[in-house]
Amino acid sequence: MLTSGILLLLIMSIGSAFAATKKVPRLANGKPDFSGIWQTTSAADYDLEPHANRKDAPPGAGIVEGHYLPYLPKALEQKKKNFEARATDDPALKGYTLGVPRGIYYPEPFQIFQRKQDLTLVHQFGHSVRTIHTDGTDHPKDPYDWWLGDSRAHWEGDTLVVDVKHFNDKTWFDRAGNFHSDALHVIEKWAFLDPNTIEYKATVEDPNVFTRPWTINVILYRHREKNFQLIEDYRFTLDYDQYYPPKPNKP
Amino acid sequence: MKHKMTHRPAVMPGLALSAMLIACQSVIAAPDDKKPEAKPAQAPKQLRLGGSGIEQERSFPKIVSGKWTGPRLADGQPDVQGHWSNTIANHNNFTDPQGGILNDPNPNRVAKGPRELRAPSRVSDPADGQVPFQPWALEKVKEFQANFHNPLKPEYVEPLARCAPAGIPKSLYWHGYEISQYPGYVLFQFNSGTRIIHLDGKPHLPDNIKLWNGDSRGHWEGNTLVVDVANHNGKALFGRSGEFISENGRIQERYIFSNDGKRYTYEALLTDPTVYTRPFTITVPARKWTAKDQPNGWHFEVEPATHAGKETILDQYERICAENNGSFGLGAVEQAKK
Repeated sequence: MLTSGILLLLIMSIGSAFAATKKVPRLANGKPDFSGIWQTTSAADYDLEPHANRKDAPPGAGIVEGHYLPYLPKALEQKKKNFEARATDDPALKGYTLGVPRGIYYPEPFQIFQRKQDLTLVHQFGHSVRTIHTDGTDHPKDPYDWWLGDSRAHWEGDTLVVDVKHFNDKTWFDRAGNFHSDALHVIEKWAFLDPNTIEYKATVEDPNVFTRPWTINVILYRHREKNFQLIEDYRFTLDYDQYYPPKPNKP
Repeated sequence: MKHKMTHRPAVMPGLALSAMLIACQSVIAAPDDKKPEAKPAQAPKQLRLGGSGIEQERSFPKIVSGKWTGPRLADGQPDVQGHWSNTIANHNNFTDPQGGILNDPNPNRVAKGPRELRAPSRVSDPADGQVPFQPWALEKVKEFQANFHNPLKPEYVEPLARCAPAGIPKSLYWHGYEISQYPGYVLFQFNSGTRIIHLDGKPHLPDNIKLWNGDSRGHWEGNTLVVDVANHNGKALFGRSGEFISENGRIQERYIFSNDGKRYTYEALLTDPTVYTRPFTITVPARKWTAKDQPNGWHFEVEPATHAGKETILDQYERICAENNGSFGLGAVEQAKK
């Protein structure tokens, strides 16, 4: 009975591994097709690092390989200040674009629209739109500093590898005040674990803030609820939206 | 928008100015008239599709619904992907699109010359080109127009000036935008906001959810993308002239594409029994911009991409407004570093 159970498990796991390579959705050109609405269930946005519960966050084991972020001493002081002021200073509280990689593990869904030449990520939060170019183009020669950086990608087998740089220094990595400078450079790796699950890795380097590159891992799940869709969340309009539209004068 | 008189000396005597205005009228009436010195300053600007500036034409062809004979995507949708923009004007004025902002205190920006030399009202039905407002709503619109230039109350600020999404229909005449298509979806990336048109026939969101861009369900009928928009919050005004729909409104849109892929006509039926006396129709002409066109700071905000090949690939950089404090009339203000 036990043996047959194990055998069954073994068959199932072989089956699912087979399914992962065989059945992931693909574009006409054979590349994995990440189209869909995705979201993490992790507590990463509260704090990338391991943390016990606190009044404004559930506990979490963190998503950083090696657990802790390798801050330079001065940057660590800034991080501590950010943490103390997180209830007012987190840019996300203003509804601002979350940046990369925070938009990926923020607890609201985002939708990927994918073509051969690009992936367009529409984030429900703030409705930010990010383009990941897969058309062989490189970073601009005369770049600006962007909220979402500039994303140029290539395929390594079935893994999408995205090089993201030219950021501004105005976003945080999480609600705990983990931060970066405009020297931020992110390398993302996107790969299907199965047709409804993506393994997302991001390696972050920023020599102004960290002593060495570090890597995070999160799992993204496909939203499969019936009729699920993004719902606009332009929350930066909430402070003034009561003034519109005009209403009849009260008698 | 350029203004005809701004480069004239400010000290010009009023009489001479009037004389010039009269000359201007005659030049408009008879373009072949021999008054060369008055012409450069006073003749209506030569407009050109694909040229610089916002105004690209004063009249436009009407494209009608019918068969689609152009290219199709693998899922059968007509392929209309690319960069698009309206051809006549921005959001200054809804019903006199090339007429400048109403009640503008700057005389140099007030439209001169007869109305029929400018593009028609975006209201194509009723024939008078006016929104059939109920009296209370018309009063509110006039109040907005009277206070627009010196907004002493928050409701007199055009919400787009605060980086709110331009909404419907204003997004279609607020900068150029990109249309991309995917199985089950048409995606509009506007300069201020994004619209996802669902083609799968799923029901609208529950009606207590109200959104700047509403909730869109579409399908293709030949060359025409037909979209039903519900769940409006009614907050995005139609322009600096203050016209509006309320949270009770419904918008039925028809994007009618020409088979050569170069243009489409946008027609929308707006219904709102709490604001209008009857449903009415608006029309917005649009044209496609391609790599053959020069970039244009209003209609076609693209940059050449970096790559080794010979073909032109265009990038359009991120469209972010509130965070950059980038609304018009405001310089970007950086918070002091702590």
